[in-house]
Amino acid sequence: MSVEIELAGEGGGLATEEMVLNMGPQHPSTHGVLRFIVTADGEVMRRAVPDIGYLHRSIEKIAEKVGWHGFMPYTDRVDYVAAMTANQGWAMCAERLGGIEVPKRGEYCRVIAAELGRACSHLLGFGAMGMDIGAITPFTHALREREMINDLLEELCGARLTFNYLRIGGVAWDLPPGYEEKVLRFLDRFELAVDEMGELLSDNRIWVERLAGVAPVPPAMAMAYGLAGPNLRASGVNYDCRKAHPYSVYNDFEFDVPVGTGEKGELGDCYDRYICRLREIRQSSRIVRQAIEKIPDGPVIAKVPRNFKPRAGDCHVVLESARGEMDWYCASDGTEYPYRVHIKTGSFTAMSIMEALSPGLMIADLVAVIASFDIVAPEVDR
Amino acid sequence: MSYIGNITDTFSSIFEGMSITFSQFFRPAYTVQYPDRMPVRVQDTLPYRYRGILEVDLEICTGCLACERACPINCIVIDAEKNKETKALVLKRFDIDMAKCMYCGLCSEPCPTGSIHHTREFEGSDYSLESLVRRFVKVPVDAYKPKKTGENDPAIVPILERGMRYIEEFAQPEKKAS
Amino acid sequence: MQGFIDSLLATTTTGLSRELAYLGGMIGFGALVVFGFILPMAGITSWLERRVWAKIQSRVGPNRVGPGGFLQWLADGLKNLLKEDVIPEAADPTLFRLAPYIVVAGFVAAFVAIPFAGSLIIADLNIGILYISAVTSLVVVGILMAGWSSNNRWSMLGGIRSASQIISYEIPAGLSVFPVVLLSGTLSMQGIIENQGWAPVDWHMFHSPFTLAAFLMSYIALLAEGNRTPFDLPEAESELVAGFATEYSGMRSLLFFLAEWGNLYVIGAIMATLFMGGWQVPAFTDNVVLLTVAQFGMFFAKTYFWVFVAMWIRATLPRVRVDQLMSLCWKYMVPIAMVNMFGTALVMVVIPEGSRLMSYALCGLMLFGLVRFGRRVNYHLKRSRRYDTVGAIMPV
Repeated sequence: MSVEIELAGEGGGLATEEMVLNMGPQHPSTHGVLRFIVTADGEVMRRAVPDIGYLHRSIEKIAEKVGWHGFMPYTDRVDYVAAMTANQGWAMCAERLGGIEVPKRGEYCRVIAAELGRACSHLLGFGAMGMDIGAITPFTHALREREMINDLLEELCGARLTFNYLRIGGVAWDLPPGYEEKVLRFLDRFELAVDEMGELLSDNRIWVERLAGVAPVPPAMAMAYGLAGPNLRASGVNYDCRKAHPYSVYNDFEFDVPVGTGEKGELGDCYDRYICRLREIRQSSRIVRQAIEKIPDGPVIAKVPRNFKPRAGDCHVVLESARGEMDWYCASDGTEYPYRVHIKTGSFTAMSIMEALSPGLMIADLVAVIASFDIVAPEVDR
Repeated sequence: MSYIGNITDTFSSIFEGMSITFSQFFRPAYTVQYPDRMPVRVQDTLPYRYRGILEVDLEICTGCLACERACPINCIVIDAEKNKETKALVLKRFDIDMAKCMYCGLCSEPCPTGSIHHTREFEGSDYSLESLVRRFVKVPVDAYKPKKTGENDPAIVPILERGMRYIEEFAQPEKKAS
Repeated sequence: MQGFIDSLLATTTTGLSRELAYLGGMIGFGALVVFGFILPMAGITSWLERRVWAKIQSRVGPNRVGPGGFLQWLADGLKNLLKEDVIPEAADPTLFRLAPYIVVAGFVAAFVAIPFAGSLIIADLNIGILYISAVTSLVVVGILMAGWSSNNRWSMLGGIRSASQIISYEIPAGLSVFPVVLLSGTLSMQGIIENQGWAPVDWHMFHSPFTLAAFLMSYIALLAEGNRTPFDLPEAESELVAGFATEYSGMRSLLFFLAEWGNLYVIGAIMATLFMGGWQVPAFTDNVVLLTVAQFGMFFAKTYFWVFVAMWIRATLPRVRVDQLMSLCWKYMVPIAMVNMFGTALVMVVIPEGSRLMSYALCGLMLFGLVRFGRRVNYHLKRSRRYDTVGAIMPV
């Protein structure tokens, strides 16, 4: 015998009222300064509209004023969690316009730095996601490892967050003496530590319940909204710029692209996005190992004049940042200042899908969804 | 059946998680208790390439303005004038606004003598923006002129040596490349 | 308490009337318990919690005030007392001011019936456990008041969440008490403890599989009632900013946390009393004072074990969602608690004297679980040894 409850519309016949919640920009789990205007009926959301523009710093416009070399430190600020790949995007733009060939060793240095940076960024995403869902321990464990990567990068380029390591034509500094060994030693421990972090959360029943089946993004929808990077791959679309159109020296390395399979819930749900990111950390460390093994001798930077003036024209560069495909468009009029720069980032598209995903989710889910997309606020606005 | 399965799964996965966290009780803490409970100062543990607060050795500054031009945010201001009598370049002002500086290191790269360089000092907090402006020229001084025969002034030699080492290890990667 | 005063009166020869001695003892002991035990204990729990978390998270935790940071709670308390007490303009000022006191009153009142030792209890009520589960529910009134009067939607959500959660979990918590009440035939805390022995085999926990399950259900339900992770939804700092305490500042805000940490002790005390033999120690001496001290130590240790487990759980588990919280309660815990109740009754009918064999078997099962746990810990520890030595690349 089953008891049937008549539901007269929403709220089971009781008159309910929607309320508007202002989530952010100072909300603890909006990763920087995001703002969502949430229309909710009790705990259930009707709509969550992202309000972007709190971190707009006109980085694209700044490029037109500071010149080709001078823009490099600003690219760090595009995505300060994975600054290395943003550096690389700008360097690749300028190199393509200027017709500069980067020395092989320089490219390898770039790959090592970029992959360490990617692991760094995913660790933060992983930790913050744990924090948002209420597990406080993974955050500090992830940051413990991240600090060590930061130490390594600090030794490489002198900064921990805004690296400014790459230059047009190569990298600023060669690997310091004994660096390769240090990185390998670190990776030995790092892989074990990442395994352990995964064991702490991945199979935990509460964790799975919170993420599996929440806000699934079907492949078609993911592509329609232009999701990028781990978010896209979690939806089962096997697209990684490093494989699809290899730039730099990524052709030399063997690595897998983790793709979501909906193993615990539906395809493209929060759990898939989480597990893809976690697995990508392992792939990054795999690439770094190979890069260190194969790194050739030679110069790290090509000769580039101080007052670098590329040819007039434009170029479009695609590379895989930690938050997905990063598109750099750059137009030059042949002077020492770029004519126009435009950057398309993964966080921006992830932000745009939020409104479509939100109806019917709970407020607690919204936090999980934001965290699973690994949105970094400055990358949204640039 | 899935009812029982849910329960056992919940308990076993929590069991595993709890064992990981319990093992943490026997592991070391990684905290660096900055600043007072450190065996050495943090500054001394930083790598050579660390980009801290900028420092200028006026003794070897040639007044070439390369750093001023390289700075993307114009936080370096240099006034250099030719002294009509001695024909030497006189530095009247060399200010770096550390409040604006973003520690990118682009200024120290083109420096020919390694005069402007990053130190490993990073504790720069102060009560006013004004006091963050570092004014290196107290009284106008003559700019350094590289001598063809090599430097032999005992007061300058060590500073220049430091500067050249800085260049070699840190800045001007093109020089190494070519 | 009565017995303790009686024994004191018997040993000393003052001309005090019995009633006066009882009254004085009651008030004196009550005040002693509140100011000398509950408040410092809640503070020390906060310090301990932070240290335990820190240890689990590869950190150090508060270690500057006093030896090992032990006096951190005093420093925090003083600091919060000196802070500005902001009351939002749009808040309901009376309710807003009143709410923290109701919350604190709710948990302090529970200490009336919580035993400390064989003769140390403020009042050995004959409805002890019922009384405790009733007054601890007073907390929900305070939280709801705080959520409502703050005039903030996040606070409101927190308050409502807390109300629904505490009210729902009262049921499995109450049902899990029944098996114990059936076994001991009394609701009095001291009576329940006296029904058990000091040895684990004599504990209610190991009476039958049903009481063992009731013991687990009871702990989970009490965690939920105390708003502890994984059920800390009312204050869910990543979802609701700080839940019902969002608008509170200074000492008022601290009072909520005082109640939370104090509640931990209450949870531990209930667990120790109902299932783990309370203050029972082997009768090793005739000295009343020495015996009382030993009993107090035993009870305190058992209680703090559960407080520690709650901290440890908080550092391990993520938070459940509102609907999962409810489905866990109504689909899993309530039916299981029901089964436990009837199962215990059945066992009591079939084997009225209780089966020693079953108790030993359950003890063995628990031991087996602990050994397995130890082996898992050892495995993780061994692996971590590998990398903790491999990668000492931090600057210091």
